[in-house]
Amino acid sequence: MTHAMVKGIVATAVGFSMAGAVAQATELSVWAWDPNFNVAIMNEAGERYTAMHSDVTVKVEDTAKDSLEQKLHTSLASGMTKTLPDIVLIEDYNAQKYLQAYPGAFAAMEKVVDYSSFAPYKVDVMTIGDSVYGIPFDTGVTGMYYRTDILADAGFTAEDLQDITWERFIEIGKVVKEKTGKEMLGNDPNDPGLIRVMMQSAGSWYFDKDGNVDIKNNAALKESLELIRDMTKSGIARPTMGWSEWVGTVNSGQVASITTGVWITGSVKSNPDQSGLWAVAPTPRLTVEGATQTSNLGGSSWYVLNSSENKDAAIAFLNEIYTQDKEFYQKILVDRGAVGSYLGAGEGAAYQTEDAFFAGQKVYSDFSDWTAQIPKVNYGMYTYEADAALSAQLPALLQGTDVDTVLERIEQQLKNQIQ
Amino acid sequence: MNKHKFSRLALYVFLSISAFVSLFPFYWMLVSSTNSTADINSGKLSFGSSLMENLTKLNTQVDLGLVFYNTSKIAILSTVFTLIISSMAGYGFEVYKSRNRDKVYNALLLTMMIPFAALMIPLFTMMAKANLLDTHFAVMLPTIASVFIVFYFRQCTKVFPKELIDAARVDGVKEWRIFVFVYWPVMRSTYAAAFIIVFMTSWNAFLWPLIVLQSAELKTINLVLSSLSSAYFPDFGVIMVGTVVATIPTLAVFFAMQKQFVAGMTGSVK
Amino acid sequence: MSSSVSQQLSSAPENPKKKQGSHGSFHRFYDINGWTFVGGAVALVALFMIYPILNSLWLSLHSGRGIVTEFVGFGNITRLFNDPVFIKALSNTFIFLIIQVPAMILLSLALSSCLNTPNLRFRGLFRLAIFLPCVTSLVAYSILFKSMFSYEGIINASLLWTGIISDPIPWLTDPFWAKVTIILAITWRWTGYNMIFYLSAMQNIDKSIYEAARLEGVGAIKQFFYITVPLLKPVILFTTVMSTIGTLQLFDEVMNITQGGPADSTMTLSMYIYNLSFKFVPNFGYAATVSYVIVFFAAILALLQFKMAKDK
Repeated sequence: MTHAMVKGIVATAVGFSMAGAVAQATELSVWAWDPNFNVAIMNEAGERYTAMHSDVTVKVEDTAKDSLEQKLHTSLASGMTKTLPDIVLIEDYNAQKYLQAYPGAFAAMEKVVDYSSFAPYKVDVMTIGDSVYGIPFDTGVTGMYYRTDILADAGFTAEDLQDITWERFIEIGKVVKEKTGKEMLGNDPNDPGLIRVMMQSAGSWYFDKDGNVDIKNNAALKESLELIRDMTKSGIARPTMGWSEWVGTVNSGQVASITTGVWITGSVKSNPDQSGLWAVAPTPRLTVEGATQTSNLGGSSWYVLNSSENKDAAIAFLNEIYTQDKEFYQKILVDRGAVGSYLGAGEGAAYQTEDAFFAGQKVYSDFSDWTAQIPKVNYGMYTYEADAALSAQLPALLQGTDVDTVLERIEQQLKNQIQ
Repeated sequence: MNKHKFSRLALYVFLSISAFVSLFPFYWMLVSSTNSTADINSGKLSFGSSLMENLTKLNTQVDLGLVFYNTSKIAILSTVFTLIISSMAGYGFEVYKSRNRDKVYNALLLTMMIPFAALMIPLFTMMAKANLLDTHFAVMLPTIASVFIVFYFRQCTKVFPKELIDAARVDGVKEWRIFVFVYWPVMRSTYAAAFIIVFMTSWNAFLWPLIVLQSAELKTINLVLSSLSSAYFPDFGVIMVGTVVATIPTLAVFFAMQKQFVAGMTGSVK
Repeated sequence: MSSSVSQQLSSAPENPKKKQGSHGSFHRFYDINGWTFVGGAVALVALFMIYPILNSLWLSLHSGRGIVTEFVGFGNITRLFNDPVFIKALSNTFIFLIIQVPAMILLSLALSSCLNTPNLRFRGLFRLAIFLPCVTSLVAYSILFKSMFSYEGIINASLLWTGIISDPIPWLTDPFWAKVTIILAITWRWTGYNMIFYLSAMQNIDKSIYEAARLEGVGAIKQFFYITVPLLKPVILFTTVMSTIGTLQLFDEVMNITQGGPADSTMTLSMYIYNLSFKFVPNFGYAATVSYVIVFFAAILALLQFKMAKDK
């Protein structure tokens, strides 16, 4: 009896110490920036993982996006990696900047992760040479959200808005403005987001495939600038400043449409009075060669720090949840409106939901289809610099300066900035 | 006499307009904290009924009590240390005047022109090497020697009756005791004014705490505010409640010490 | 009462030892105490201001991306002159300086002399109201201003309602109006702060001077320019220098209200330093060079202002 007890105690003790050696309790720290979106989603991912691996927990620190980028720069630049988290969220436009400015700071994962299950444009963003860093997260696949009631007042049906060009969009906008007094869209002259949407929809960017500045002779960019000018001049664009005001034009019913990334869905739906009045059509297209009806705006991915003590655990966690767990993608879609860039997710039931806010349209199924068709471009590492150079010339453009001159100036400033 | 009345009227009109312009944003803040985001965006100017809802939402998103504790701890401690160290220096420069010390003093004044942006990266590296990152101590340390407060105390010490020091010396009182037992009591209102200025600066600090603090448990109210306002779907009702919460303590400190503040400022500009 | 005592005391022969500084022991005692009192602050400033700024001087001789840098010597200075954004930021900073600082100083002076009028009713209330803006945190007040000055915001709504304007003003989206908004914001935040300095200084002006002037029939406006302003010269100089330095380093407001836009119309030097370090592909060396430009101009302007004050 006593013998058995002693044996039992010894066994338990050995068991404990073994367990301790094999899998110590690990807490993975994560930086993300939106409490209602990526922070909440990462928390959900963490809970799912902990349920299966009780020795690993995930703790998400919520910091404003600008602040997060700044802290990451400060820590990496000073070489003080101790306070860095294990996993950090980086916007796709910035990925190359961090990867190239701080070589060796992030963990390459191409040996572990099957990248073929993600939208190809996302994987490109995180590739340098043969190495792939990071796990693709949400996509910014774009669509044209519009108010069916306002457009009906102006005499347009859903068919009139399906697969249109931007030129047609402006024509429609003029009619809408004339008949209803509302603007067709809100536009922030500080934010070249819409121009980027237009450019990428034609497979073009500020930089060519090799990363060289491509502005002066960029036909897609030229057409985009002309369109922005025409929108502003014709009075169909309502000027806004900053994110909230731009979203505000939609919620308060001042504009008839908003063309942007799918992540806007939650904001569009935030005014319940407008339920049933919205629909989503494909992004309007340019007329240049290579023009398509899909594009992307924003989107971000998870990266693991090389300095992390829990590097392997972090990669294992991301790999298990983000590249395999279809149910997880259904849950974050339903709860948070997040459309992942994981291609398998679209097969799930949640994507087939008919959304009452959009009068029964299966919006997520549409977005999921569009995601796979987003044209690949090389964002390079200088998107912010290019944006700044572009924004600096927009007033001149709107005041009537010739587009070619404007393009010339943008190219000059950009080249100076990135020397 | 008529002209006199007219100019009186003009005076009151001018002051009333200025007061209105100064106070309106506070009114807007209070009103907005009781409204929903939709109402705020549509410019609603009357009080709504969403205050409790906004406050509850804010409190579920962040641990308000903890954030408040952190901000107060940093503000109070760094204010106390700043007052001690900087008033000592202001006193020292004025009471023990010497050519060498005046040279050092002028050099100190010059450092006021250095923009913080220029110091940020080296300072961060220093804190990292000293193993102080992600501590409240690192937030306070670089702010303790405030050149502006040194300057302020030196100015005020100029009108401090030096005979008191001489009298105490004749009685054989030690120098540091003169500072503590003679200088402090006389300069009470100067300290009050400095307390308000330093407390407000510290409470309102943003950029440096942002860089140094990493853990959520250590964050201050301004970091939380800026984080809230940069969400994909910012909830303005919640943000406005946050701004109210962030403003109340500085207001309270100001109201509590207003009398001494005015008296203290008067001493500084003789 | 106490002043007469102190006058007697100070006219009395002082401690004889103090008169003869060469007399060793007191001099040493004096010096040791002097350095002890100022030592803490001086050491901290040296550690947290002087050392980092020298460090950043070394940085300014380098250029590159993030941690991939090379020594470029004075290359960054050459780059400054060809950098349109830098030139824009510099000229914006000077526009803010030339318009905002004098306007704010005048306004604070006017307000404080109004508040100093004898027999003014509600003096405390007015003073409190006008001072109140400077207790707000920069983050909080920037959020407030952004919301008030938005296109649909309460400011446009009120102006439209009163009929002062017929179309909403694009406060934050037009390059000209964005500058105006920033100037209004800074003026709102800091006028009361400066006013308190003037008010305090005015308490020290002998009331009988004004009494005499009034008996002579000198009007209020003349009193302001010929009595108040000259007597307050040291304080005005001090606040001007402080405001100048503040404007040269202008960052928080711009960062939180316009982020330097639209079209760099509110870009300031500090904002540009921030962008170069934390927004663009980080070039800390070039950023350090730009920050030295601020130090340079601040020093020159402060010197000029002190010199002007001395000449007058």
